[in-house]
Amino acid sequence: MATGVENQDRVPENLKKKLALAVRNIQWSYAIFWSISARQPGVLEWGDGYYNGDIKTRKTVQAVELDADQLALQRSEQLRELYESLSAGESSPQPRRPSAALSPEDLTDTEWYYLVCMSFVFNIGQGLPGRTLATGQPIWLCNAHYAESKVFSRSLLAKSASIQTVVCFPFSRGVIELGATDLVLEDLSLIQRIKTSFLDTPHQIVSNKSIPVAGSMGNDNDLACPAHDPQILETKLSPLLGCEQLEMASPDDSSDGFEPNQQVEEPFMVEGINGGASQVQSGQLMDEEFSNCVHHSLNTSDCISQTFVDHGNVVPLHKGEKDNDNNGLQDVQECNQTRLTSLDLRSDDLHYHTVLTALLKTSHQLILGPHFQNSNHESSFINWKNTSLVKSQKTRVETSQKLLKKILFEVPHMHMHDKGLLDSPEDNGIRKAAFRPEADEMCGNHVLSERRRREKINERLMILKSLVPSNSKVDKVSILDDTIEYLQDLERRIEELESSREITESEARTKRKPPDHVERTSDNYGNNKISNGKKSFLNKRKACDIDEAELEVNFVGSKDNNITVSMNNKDFVIEFRCPWREGILFEIMDELSIINLDCHSVQSSTTEGILTVNIKSKYKGVGVTSAGTIKQALQRVAWKC
Amino acid sequence: MENSTQESHLRPDNSITYESPYPLYSMALSSMPSRSNLNHQRIAVGSFIEDYTNRVDIFSFDPETVSIKTQPTLSFDHPYPPTKLMFQPNRKSPSSSSSDLLATSGDYLRLWEVRESSVEPLSVLNNSKTSEFCAPLTSFDWNDVEPKRIGTSSIDTTCTIWDIEKGVVETQLIAHDKEVYDIAWGEARVFASVSADGSVRIFDLRDKEHSTIIYESPQPDTPLLRLAWNKQDLRYMATILMDSNKIVILDIRSPTMPVAELERHRASVNAIAWAPQSSRHICSAGDDAQALIWELPTVAGPNGIDPLSMYSAGSEINQLQWSASQPDWIAIAFSNKMQLLKV
Repeated sequence: MATGVENQDRVPENLKKKLALAVRNIQWSYAIFWSISARQPGVLEWGDGYYNGDIKTRKTVQAVELDADQLALQRSEQLRELYESLSAGESSPQPRRPSAALSPEDLTDTEWYYLVCMSFVFNIGQGLPGRTLATGQPIWLCNAHYAESKVFSRSLLAKSASIQTVVCFPFSRGVIELGATDLVLEDLSLIQRIKTSFLDTPHQIVSNKSIPVAGSMGNDNDLACPAHDPQILETKLSPLLGCEQLEMASPDDSSDGFEPNQQVEEPFMVEGINGGASQVQSGQLMDEEFSNCVHHSLNTSDCISQTFVDHGNVVPLHKGEKDNDNNGLQDVQECNQTRLTSLDLRSDDLHYHTVLTALLKTSHQLILGPHFQNSNHESSFINWKNTSLVKSQKTRVETSQKLLKKILFEVPHMHMHDKGLLDSPEDNGIRKAAFRPEADEMCGNHVLSERRRREKINERLMILKSLVPSNSKVDKVSILDDTIEYLQDLERRIEELESSREITESEARTKRKPPDHVERTSDNYGNNKISNGKKSFLNKRKACDIDEAELEVNFVGSKDNNITVSMNNKDFVIEFRCPWREGILFEIMDELSIINLDCHSVQSSTTEGILTVNIKSKYKGVGVTSAGTIKQALQRVAWKC
Repeated sequence: MENSTQESHLRPDNSITYESPYPLYSMALSSMPSRSNLNHQRIAVGSFIEDYTNRVDIFSFDPETVSIKTQPTLSFDHPYPPTKLMFQPNRKSPSSSSSDLLATSGDYLRLWEVRESSVEPLSVLNNSKTSEFCAPLTSFDWNDVEPKRIGTSSIDTTCTIWDIEKGVVETQLIAHDKEVYDIAWGEARVFASVSADGSVRIFDLRDKEHSTIIYESPQPDTPLLRLAWNKQDLRYMATILMDSNKIVILDIRSPTMPVAELERHRASVNAIAWAPQSSRHICSAGDDAQALIWELPTVAGPNGIDPLSMYSAGSEINQLQWSASQPDWIAIAFSNKMQLLKV
């Protein structure tokens, strides 16, 4: 109804009624009037149409019984409304439609075909309607569902809807298109009759029997075709508008040469053979056609191919027009639509609405977009040639997907090292099993606290690892092994140093009591190995360290000059020099962690009793910290004694 | 490795190269035209340096003059190489907000506000309620229907769905048995992910109890590394396998059986991208230094599917993006170069 208003100027008056009469009379499936678009001159778009095919679900609000004519007219209106609500977008089409409105699930394949036709737009000279308008001549297309998409862009769609015959002829300022699910051989007098009897006169003409579809074919084999096709058979079983083909297409008629194939259950196979059979009737390319169709039906594992028919083999009537300047764009669009349609209708798809919307939106975009049309610039891409295969057959042996693998496999572990969590595979084990929503909620408190504990341990381990020169192994045992080894080594070295210094010191000063000293260090290291007693051992040590510190302050000079802290947001780079002493690195790390700095890289070296440390760290507390705080903290450690 | 004959068709009007001081991996094309010049498009590239300090550089591309304008003020540091960069999708008009949003993934999901002459960090999204630690992210995808939603994939087998407006986790799902390597949105509430466990799974946020496995790699546990969902036809998605030259095209309605396998790369495939405006075209790039554009055919021939066209770069192509706002251009990254190619 809305369309009526919208199209008033372009569509002749009472056209829908006329189309209805004509199409009902010849008992075809639909009639469409393509009119020249008001918005886009030079383009044919949907003007009006009448649907006369099979109907799946009837929906109505009227209590009044309608007669068949009214019902059919109403159906066409409902289909139009459905199309409009769908093309309006995803924004919940439901509220916009009255309760009796159709939803896509209510449609038969043929109705769907009719509905999707509404989204098509043809340039003049392009597509079946466009060419009809350009030439002014009618086009009669048999086997439309096998036609090349260049000839009949909706052929795939037609296939899903079992539309076999499509006829276009110029009318008024547009083109009328008629379609039937049967094979109807070219009969120009039929067009003439429709024109004169129905379209030109505004009066209702009821010719009782014009063209019985099957009669025009006059061939038993043809009649058998629909019967072989389970899909057609199925839909024909519940005809609402009296399809007399059913009676004619009784299985008894199927006595042609293709009998052995009828046992095949695969519907596509049967369809394919039907195609072949039909071709035999048209006397075209029989052998090639037939084998081709069979070949296709065998190829059922391929979902894409399933709905398509090989180009170029099934040649429709209008061979000469193949070279029409159909740009690839239209093809892309229409294949897109067809595939959606032909497949979606049968599946109760969760994504139905979205896909449908996407489809309808897309088609418009594609018509407008310059995509794939080569404009002024030439493509950087060249046609793919298989020959280039030979040239560089010897591909590189080095690891494939090098960077991709690094990104996926190694970069995460860089972060892991930093964050100090190294969950071994066993730790992940508990989370295996099936899909569980809301990991955290499901895990429960125990697991959470366990995880927290593990994270803390891991964090400390990572600090430890950063302090100990180690091989590349990162598992916990190796870290501890390395630490033990390192500490033992240090102990040894310290002993050496101490003993050599003892000599020099004892020369310079006599205050010091070497035995005491040695005793202390060994004591410290005992603690250190357990590593938990870190704090207590630090405190214990304080008292006896004083004199040593005094000794060393002299070559440190101004304390402040030895700390540089540069910051970038929450990342801090600290360079720091101070007198070396046992365990000072631990103290520094400890102090930094107290002020919420998370160290991810530590480099240290000791030369002549001066420790140089380079620390990269990240502030993980809330708020901000300043370089001053860090300096203070470090000074506390370095010169605490 | 430089293949001069193949590169000879490069002309100043159909391609442009950006050379970075460092190797590049991640790359993103903005959906929003620049404010100062509507024809310009922002491009972000992330360095790949195996160290803490990495960079993200942003520059603008003018398809009219086929030129690139660098903007040094729009560079920022990133801890370790970003695993993915993405601009907020569907920002067609610059008037809706003055600046563009860029997301990066690595240790955390980070949001950056890209202004005319500066980049400001907006937020760092950490999904761990209990600690500073959050398992590193391998990838993420920004929902183009619901732009406040970002899904991340992590090596801890989970996917996390963020509400970036509120800065909160909408949900976290244990998605796979092993590391999750990529995630892609289909609709506002439906996403899919691929994993080291070799499966492609679809999740619906309305029914978190279930996921659907729609593909499993033929050799058990061959990791699937990347996933691309056909935005023009949501029934199709594409994935790539570790150490494989195949692009596997899946139809979500026929689980387990791929509808097509594209096998014309001569080495492993690194990246895939569906055409932004066509449901039948996909581009892939790999270690064979080639970018191939494929048209999914009506019928697969007995010898498999041949690509439509090809482009040969100087070395392994690691990254590929097909611009939604400039569908005539495909961006690739190899070694330290980013190249824009006219389709």
